[in-house]
Amino acid sequence: MSNPPESSIDHDPTVRAAIDRSLRHPVMFFFTSGAAWLAVAILLGIISSAKVHSPQFLGDCAWFTYGRVFAAHQSALLYGWGCQAAFGMMIWLMARLSRQECRNAGTILMAGHVWNFAISIGVIGILAGGGTGMPWMDMPSFAWIPMLLSYGAILIWSMVQFKVRPEGHTYISQWYLMAALIWFPWFFGSAHLLVHGFGGSPLGAAGVNAWYHSALLLLFFAPVGIGMAYYLVPKVTGRPVFNYSMSLLGFWTLAAIAPWAGLQKLTGAPIPNFLPYLGAFAGILFAMPAALAGINLLKTASSEMETVNLSPTLRFTIWGLIFLLVLGAASVVLNSPGVMKITQFTMSGYGYDLLAVYGFFSFIAFGSIYFIVPRITRREWLSRRLIKWHFFLSIYGIGAIIVVALFGGLMQGVGQEEYLQPWENAAGRAFPYAVLVTTAWSFLLLSNVFFFLHLTLMWLRLGRRSSHPTLLVTPHHSSPHGPEGDIDNVGSASAH
Amino acid sequence: MQDSQKPDLDESLNVTQSHDRAMREAAAVAREKHVDEGGREPLSLWVFGASAFILIFAGLALGNAGSFFNYNETVKSDYVRKTFDSGDNSGPPPGEALKIYMAKGEKIYGKCIGCHAPDGKGGGAYPALAGSEWALGETERFAMVVLNGLSGPTSTGKTYGVMPAQGIGMSDVDLAAVMTYVRNAFGNSKGDVVTKEMAAEAIKISEARANPGSPVTADELKADHLKDLPGDKLDPTTMIDPVTLEPVEAAAE
Repeated sequence: MSNPPESSIDHDPTVRAAIDRSLRHPVMFFFTSGAAWLAVAILLGIISSAKVHSPQFLGDCAWFTYGRVFAAHQSALLYGWGCQAAFGMMIWLMARLSRQECRNAGTILMAGHVWNFAISIGVIGILAGGGTGMPWMDMPSFAWIPMLLSYGAILIWSMVQFKVRPEGHTYISQWYLMAALIWFPWFFGSAHLLVHGFGGSPLGAAGVNAWYHSALLLLFFAPVGIGMAYYLVPKVTGRPVFNYSMSLLGFWTLAAIAPWAGLQKLTGAPIPNFLPYLGAFAGILFAMPAALAGINLLKTASSEMETVNLSPTLRFTIWGLIFLLVLGAASVVLNSPGVMKITQFTMSGYGYDLLAVYGFFSFIAFGSIYFIVPRITRREWLSRRLIKWHFFLSIYGIGAIIVVALFGGLMQGVGQEEYLQPWENAAGRAFPYAVLVTTAWSFLLLSNVFFFLHLTLMWLRLGRRSSHPTLLVTPHHSSPHGPEGDIDNVGSASAH
Repeated sequence: MQDSQKPDLDESLNVTQSHDRAMREAAAVAREKHVDEGGREPLSLWVFGASAFILIFAGLALGNAGSFFNYNETVKSDYVRKTFDSGDNSGPPPGEALKIYMAKGEKIYGKCIGCHAPDGKGGGAYPALAGSEWALGETERFAMVVLNGLSGPTSTGKTYGVMPAQGIGMSDVDLAAVMTYVRNAFGNSKGDVVTKEMAAEAIKISEARANPGSPVTADELKADHLKDLPGDKLDPTTMIDPVTLEPVEAAAE
């Protein structure tokens, strides 16, 4: 979107409001049920993490054995929260950037219910003992066909909107969104078909599974998160993207590199030698698109530090970008063959996944939810304190988990390498870190209960009726924009 | 002035009013800024530096792949450990002979627990091993009972029925370990080790019996087997290797 001619500026808010209204129900549905799934995922995360240091906890109940709870925790986090937050962001942003109202909100909402139903029975299936035992593809094989179908129904209209958009420039966010739209059915469909459909060799299935794991991160969550950040940061700061050609370079490096990653997880397995090292090569190179997008956007925001500090949207988004840079650095370290040898079978892989899914992607998702929801509900966020609680508990919680899982994984790996010592020693090294992870998950649960409540109140249209955004620093009663409900003061508030 | 007969086509909408309404109802939308992507700021040098660093690192990882598309070479030679390193670190640490034989024997005794009970007292329905004359006495007699089973009266003169033979599939190490264990557990403290060499002799003697395969009786034991097994005695404090059970050289300690 380049600067529109003067005459359309007055018209713009009406078009934007109409687009937002057309997508109100599906977007709010995805965000709210995503937040509820996030709380479920964190609860399961607490249980599974508690079992690492206190194995007897819930030990008599087959439904809550570690293998099942941990798999259910990951599935709920990825498909309940991550994918649904991504869907909400994608359909909204694609409609906005294509300047088209959504004409199929009912279909999308319906498909959203199918998706929720599929993952509900999938997670229950895991807890009942029907999991497949493949990381990130844990749900019983009956779940993936309804998931793929409802994915198609949710996002086909975004493709249609892109197709019928007014001609002109295609903004970088649309590049990322289109890529994610196309990549998801490619890797999701082919991986599930190869594993559940054709039933090849177990070694082949393990390889496909490892590739799928990295594809879901790098070919879906990464482009959606980066694409959303490319919209939010310039939008809220009002600054142009720092260097636009760098953003295109970042996109094409991601597109060229990410599909090759994944098989480094199988290093040491009886597969041709070049495959894991090619995977490690691509895994390390992911740091380049991550750094290009992260640095570009942080540079864009750095000229408006006050806005970053005031705006809930930017506060979360900027931290998501910082976590993206950390993720890039972690990709370089963890995928280098020397370190991989130590950490391959430790908790550091889990730390890396959480850094990507919670640190990078979810923070940008939280940022976009704080941006999108006031627009589609036409209410402002109720309480800056709830937002602050959400932010601080999240940042400390996830920071602790990431540091502990990456570093604790290294200690655990060093313990495992001492093969003359009993295995118990390696487990003992991981014990204090496991206790810390449980504590940090408890922080995150608290933080997301606040978030879910706040979001639910917004969906019930119980937000503030005001023209002033909810900012993070000044208390409402002494707003510099005038008393509450003063809606003639349009345009004065800029930092949201 | 509009014709009231015609449909309300134009001019009836007050643009200012409807605009105001849009502003009021959608304040968040109205205050949005335009996205402008047109930045052309120069890149910092350190971004190139970081990219070069990443590329070099990735290249090093790829270099480990060896010759490309060579399917014969599957696992990098130093990635998976195929054998123990040589030198002082090889294998589990040596220990005292009695302790190592006892530890092995405790596992094998698991087969005997069903009758002779974990405490070796037999529980009344089966003969006790704790304090048993035959278990603690001459080793050949004891070995014959373990290997072939027993019918008729035991050392106390009481008859319990037939003990089944335990020798099938039992190696010399197993026999030596379980005998050492019984002679030194449950309050027994004979303090000597039945070595695997002695046990190997016992198996030979057992196979050379007049009626191999049938349980021994008190009479046969008294007539043929009332002696210790041949073989050198082993000092129970000798340091031995827990895998091979061979004494370790003093130099290796």
